[in-house]
Amino acid sequence: MNPEPFLQLDRVIHEKGRLAIMSMLAASPELSFTELRDALGMTDGNLTTHIRALQEEGYVSVAKSYQNNRPLTTCSLTTPGRKAFAEYINLLEQIVRQNKPR
Amino acid sequence: MNPNWAEENLQTIRTLMERSAVYRRALAPIMLFAGTMGVLTATIGIWSQQFWSLQDSMQVFGTLWLGTAAIVVAGAFLTARRQAIKDKEHFWSPPTRRVGQALLPALSAGMFLGGLFTFVGLTNAITLTFIWLFFYGCALHSAGFFMLRGMKCFGWIFIGLAAVTASVLCFLNITRPLAFPASNIAITAHLLMGFFFGVLHLAYGAYLYLTEKRKNAA
Repeated sequence: MNPEPFLQLDRVIHEKGRLAIMSMLAASPELSFTELRDALGMTDGNLTTHIRALQEEGYVSVAKSYQNNRPLTTCSLTTPGRKAFAEYINLLEQIVRQNKPR
Repeated sequence: MNPNWAEENLQTIRTLMERSAVYRRALAPIMLFAGTMGVLTATIGIWSQQFWSLQDSMQVFGTLWLGTAAIVVAGAFLTARRQAIKDKEHFWSPPTRRVGQALLPALSAGMFLGGLFTFVGLTNAITLTFIWLFFYGCALHSAGFFMLRGMKCFGWIFIGLAAVTASVLCFLNITRPLAFPASNIAITAHLLMGFFFGVLHLAYGAYLYLTEKRKNAA
């Protein structure tokens, strides 16, 4: 098996929790913090840590606003984040193809 | 290293992307619209039976509900499309296409049998109601593989409640035409349709609406 695609996988996205966040955001223009938390069954602290890691990498942008006088935190993928996610999926597909019996 | 991990990761990604796609957010208004139409049609159906004492009730029943189904499908399509335009998303995205493909076999079978029985008159309105309920439950359950987990439960609720109600009605011999006048059969069928397609959709729509509202208020 050629280990090349595996070595190229983005380590930031490859973590299970962050991959789930990226997947949800890739199919939606933006999602609120609570939507992400409830859909993924994460704790507030866990989700905050993962979002911060993705934000530091420049993959996710976080916006804070108000809705009905309540603070609303929304997350969305940035252009580099979308590109990195597409690249990650391409590499996964390559690995799947390699593993398939010929 | 497990050789299937990459495939499993891709499957997880696909499932998560499907769950956050546009039709999910349009589901509450679609359910509320379908429920309102269901209650409205049942009311019109019962009212027309009582005031006009229609003899050919099977044709009236089938035409009325097939017409309502067409309006609800068109309304659902427009609602999801409007939501997609509002959110600047593709309407006919791969996740939406998969939900459509999952719904189509059972829905078309139900529509086909409905049309056939309505115009040939092979059965009565109550039997047709249960045929529709079972097919609709199966359609929702299939769609549940590509959307909210609650959708599978909603499909099972249709199938389970329809089975219980059908058993009770058979036990009471209500479906025997000789024991039950034609207009009563149609009224019972309208009541069943009103409850299942009206009240159940309204309840699920209200549940989705309230839970979504709570989720959005951080």
